[in-house]
Amino acid sequence: MASADKPINTDVPEKDVFTLHFLQSLSNLRRQNTFNSPEKTNDRVKKIKKAAYVSMARAAGGTNRLWSRALLRRAAKENSKVVRFPRRKKRVTCLRRRRSNRRDPVEEEEAERLRNLVPGGGGMETSKLMEETAHYIKCLSMQVKVMQCLVDGLAPK
Amino acid sequence: MDVSEKDELRNGDDTTVNYDESANNPPPDWRVSGSNPVSDSYPTENLMMETLWYDPTNVQAVGYGGFNGGGNASSSSSFRGNIDRSLEMGWSLPNLLPPKGGNGMFLPNASSFLPPSMAQFPADSGFIERAARFSLFSGGSFSEMMNQQQPLGNPESVGLFLQGQCTSNEVNVVGVAHNDASAGMKETNVRSSEQGNKQNVSEDTQSSGGKGGETSSKGFDSKKRKRNKQNAEADQSQRSQQSEEEADNNGGGDKKRNDEQSPNSQGNKTNSGKQQGKQTSDPKDGYIHVRARRGQATNSHSLAERVRREKISERMKFLQDLVPGCNKVTGKAVMLDEIINYVQSLQRQVEFLSMKLATVNPQMDFNLEGLLAKDALQLRAGTSSATPFPPNMPMVYPPLPHGFMQQTLSSMGRNISSPLSPPINGGYKRQETNGWEGDLQNVIHINYGAGDVPPDSQAAAATEASLPSSNMKVEP
Repeated sequence: MASADKPINTDVPEKDVFTLHFLQSLSNLRRQNTFNSPEKTNDRVKKIKKAAYVSMARAAGGTNRLWSRALLRRAAKENSKVVRFPRRKKRVTCLRRRRSNRRDPVEEEEAERLRNLVPGGGGMETSKLMEETAHYIKCLSMQVKVMQCLVDGLAPK
Repeated sequence: MDVSEKDELRNGDDTTVNYDESANNPPPDWRVSGSNPVSDSYPTENLMMETLWYDPTNVQAVGYGGFNGGGNASSSSSFRGNIDRSLEMGWSLPNLLPPKGGNGMFLPNASSFLPPSMAQFPADSGFIERAARFSLFSGGSFSEMMNQQQPLGNPESVGLFLQGQCTSNEVNVVGVAHNDASAGMKETNVRSSEQGNKQNVSEDTQSSGGKGGETSSKGFDSKKRKRNKQNAEADQSQRSQQSEEEADNNGGGDKKRNDEQSPNSQGNKTNSGKQQGKQTSDPKDGYIHVRARRGQATNSHSLAERVRREKISERMKFLQDLVPGCNKVTGKAVMLDEIINYVQSLQRQVEFLSMKLATVNPQMDFNLEGLLAKDALQLRAGTSSATPFPPNMPMVYPPLPHGFMQQTLSSMGRNISSPLSPPINGGYKRQETNGWEGDLQNVIHINYGAGDVPPDSQAAAATEASLPSSNMKVEP
């Protein structure tokens, strides 16, 4: 583990990157033939939502972040695609087991809820979870901004 | 006799008890038994031990000034209860050096603190004597003590012993030797508890004991000067060991031995160097060096726990800055609640916006690539605050959101829940994007109305299309 002096790195790329990725995914979606049919709105919604998350994950740092990795893996599983990630030390699970008996119950209950929210939070220790949550919040808010801009810009006047 | 043994070991030749020369009146029992020759005879030690098991409260009251109080020969049955109470001060007694009100009373103090700390172990006098000898940095090997003494048996008790010694609240241990011993013992304790390797215990304590022995023989008058440095060193060593233990839980297990040895050896070097200031933690290690704070338990577990808690609270503070409206809230539970709510609301927003996009999108049949290209060309000319894009992007990428932001801010409040309220960072955008909004809207409407207008920069569109278009597929 690195020294405690190193500041928490939650740099998030600029909005442009997010927008780029999102628009790319959207355009890709549009290329699908059955996309613009008036029925099946729900499907479209789901696809767009998924595209949003995936593009966000990719924009926000790809596989460098645990939550983005989990997100991408989840999406890939739905698409039944093979996911290949760069090899990393898988040490989170054992860490969690070892520390499980020394935790504050109240804090742990909250952390559990957080784990359910943040993708990939199941295998993280609490401090790491916090870090991922911070980054996730930043990315989420960025994505929301981008989408909002897009919607407002593209909405019929 | 214990005291004489320690004395002998320290001085190397003197068999008489030091404190005989002191002006203070040591308890008569000591004097009597002080004349006994050094031996391994159990009966004698038994007798001595029992007399040594004075009332610990007495020591406390006296302020470590020696056994002036004389109530030392309390019944052995009572000392058990008192021992537990005073266990904490087991190693804290030698803190005061020179002892208050006393001049040459270090030796009785040194021997006096032993009984309380050893109460938790089988009160086998032989074991105690050996442990005492060991603890006073004798030159005798620890391994031989271990091997000789069968009641000592498993290293668990030894570990316990080491642990017991190290649980004192006061970390400022007197003298080099104590530091090394405690650091070494703590290190070995950690190691033995984790690896169960007896050899380490013997060799490390041996090394630390030996070194401690030689340095302690230099005399106690310089102890005060050394003490501060060694306190820092001990703290760092302990801290480093704590953090290393914790870090090792994360990382590999092999590095641990080397890294634990290195701080300890550094400590030794520093101690012997004696002139260097606080030898701060080696940055090359890359480990956290935790300092045991005053008045806190220096248990390895509690230190690691404290590091963990500090880390969590630091991250919580960071999160507090992120989540708007959390500055007034204090307390982890409420903060976490707020964070959870915020994340949930953000996710809901994404879902809602995607729904909106889904309804909006099919209505306009616009060419996205064209849109982007056109916007790029228009905006690029229009503004100087275009964000520079990476050179490998052949397509000119417009800072779309900036223009949108202006409009977004104005329409922000309608559907979006409060957490995403404007003032996040919208303020600084206003001045620079005043002119964009109109341009952007024009562009969009142009594209919107023209339908599939072929983009001006076909090349750009083609390039964009040729980009890995499988967005839905996951790529590493």
